[in-house]
Amino acid sequence: MIKTEHLSHFYSVGTPFETVAIEDINLHIKKGEYVGVIGHTGSGKSTLIAHFNAILKPTSGKIFIDGKDLWSEDKKQRIQTRFDVGLVFQYPEHQLFEETVYKDIAFGPKNMGLSEEEIHRRVEKAMRFVGLSESVLEKSPFDLSGGQKRRVAIAGVMALEPKVLILDEPAAGLDPMGRDEILGRIREYHQETGSTVLLVSHSMEDVSKNADSILVMNRGRCQMHASVPEVFERADELEKMGLDVPRITRVFFALQDKGYPVSRNVFTVEQGKAEITRLLKEGGKNHA
Amino acid sequence: MLKDITLGQYFPVKSFMHALDPRMKLLLTLLYVVALFLVSDFWGFLVAAFLIGLVASFSKISLKVVFRGLKPLVFIIMFTAFFNVLYGGGEPLFPQIEWLSWIKTDGVKNAAFMIIRIILLILGTSYLTYTTSPVMLTDALERLMRPLKIFRFPVHELAMMMTIALRFIPTLIDETDKIINAQKARGADFETGNIIRRAKALIPILIPLLVSAFHRAEELADAMECRCYHGGAGRTRYKIYSLGWRDWVALGAMVLSFAAIIMLRIY
Ligand SMILES: Nc1ncnc2c1ncn2[C@@H]1O[C@H](COP(=O)(O)OP(=O)(O)OP(=O)(O)O)[C@@H](O)[C@H]1O
Ligand SMILES: [Mg+2]
Repeated sequence: MIKTEHLSHFYSVGTPFETVAIEDINLHIKKGEYVGVIGHTGSGKSTLIAHFNAILKPTSGKIFIDGKDLWSEDKKQRIQTRFDVGLVFQYPEHQLFEETVYKDIAFGPKNMGLSEEEIHRRVEKAMRFVGLSESVLEKSPFDLSGGQKRRVAIAGVMALEPKVLILDEPAAGLDPMGRDEILGRIREYHQETGSTVLLVSHSMEDVSKNADSILVMNRGRCQMHASVPEVFERADELEKMGLDVPRITRVFFALQDKGYPVSRNVFTVEQGKAEITRLLKEGGKNHA
Repeated sequence: MLKDITLGQYFPVKSFMHALDPRMKLLLTLLYVVALFLVSDFWGFLVAAFLIGLVASFSKISLKVVFRGLKPLVFIIMFTAFFNVLYGGGEPLFPQIEWLSWIKTDGVKNAAFMIIRIILLILGTSYLTYTTSPVMLTDALERLMRPLKIFRFPVHELAMMMTIALRFIPTLIDETDKIINAQKARGADFETGNIIRRAKALIPILIPLLVSAFHRAEELADAMECRCYHGGAGRTRYKIYSLGWRDWVALGAMVLSFAAIIMLRIY
């Protein structure tokens, strides 16, 4: 679905401010995959994903979407890929501008040149996905709470019905309930539509709960791209990059090191609870 | 990207020019501008160019970068030059060619003068902003304008407003870039269609930008009040400027050049 070859991006080339944001990225993201993108602040996550829908032009290297080289196509085609690869930026609520929530969500579909009925269908569907109620449709987006604004903004991109949905820290600045809710909605969207999803996040917990694979960025380079358990096996390397595996996973690693027969693939407290209960039951049997 | 506009930007590096007292730099720039208008022949410009060369080599900012900042002004410069040629007197430059008869020697000379003067002017003032942070610049301005307080001129308030405005230019540029990208990601098209369509396409950028600017202004006002800001009366300074050897050296170089330019004018 998405492939990059030696992708690099420098900002402010030729001025004293020149910075290398990403360097020599080679990756391959499969169709239908849910990828968590993780890395410390300034590691190049946002820069990387802004290449996937042709917002940023690579300084060098290539990007292929569905096998087509993005920057060898003409401009019209490239704009078309923006509808195939939907990108929700960091703090997307700052992009709202219409008089009503409905119109704002409809902005993208309208740009696609769809019919009124189709636009209506898509707005409704997107609203359902993010869990907004009908009652806000005619409200001004500026009168909503922060969390609601965030949802409207996400719905605005979902309404494009992209084959790839990319979200840059969609849960940043929300309370724990709001986080889980938004992430849960995105997971549902992934399962229901079968689309490819990229979730940028600072939280290993969030990523491990949702994603199939993890892409670890460090100082502008892609350090790892593997399944969640495989990445967590390299906990020591992660720590050197200022990242951490979920605390519950660490606990279970430690338990296993102490000789307890527990699984290493425990990423959430619920899984941990199940694992401990299992162990206690079996342990009881052994002693009997 | 909007960010790549370098005109009027501050480049934070350590250099001789950066270390100068901002008041002195402001004064020197003023002298330099006056000198440029006193120049009456090409030799005078040579002196000014030499001065710019000195500044460039002592500021760790290459002339190349500064020249790139000129790009947006090429049109204005050419425009000025064209009118100078158009209204210039003297002999026709190409006496044999009929349709070029409007190009006269004096006009061309004036135009060349004008181009050089504008470029030197921009280069000089660019180096001021490249080597002096906006805060220092307005600070210096406030000090130098202090005598105006006698006439009840709100020097401090004006300087504070300028500081804030300058401080928020990069922030707003950043924000504009972000909003443009976010709307592009939803398929907004800013590059095709007629003028009305293009003007309409700006709405999705301007509204979020205004909303956030007002937001910021309100937050800033609150934050300032929370820290007991109440105008300039009784405010003390954190940074006290003092003139050092560098400033006197720079002043010396400037005065010498100034004198040279006046000499060239007289003889
Ligand atoms: N518009 C820009 N101009 C210049 N440099 C930039 C710009 N955007 C990002 N950078 C630089 O590029 C590098 C990567 O930034 P990027 O925003 O991609 O990081 P990130 O991983 O998304 O960080 P965060 O987790 O804070 O969002 C950083 O060093 C940053 O300073
Ligand atoms: Mg980011």
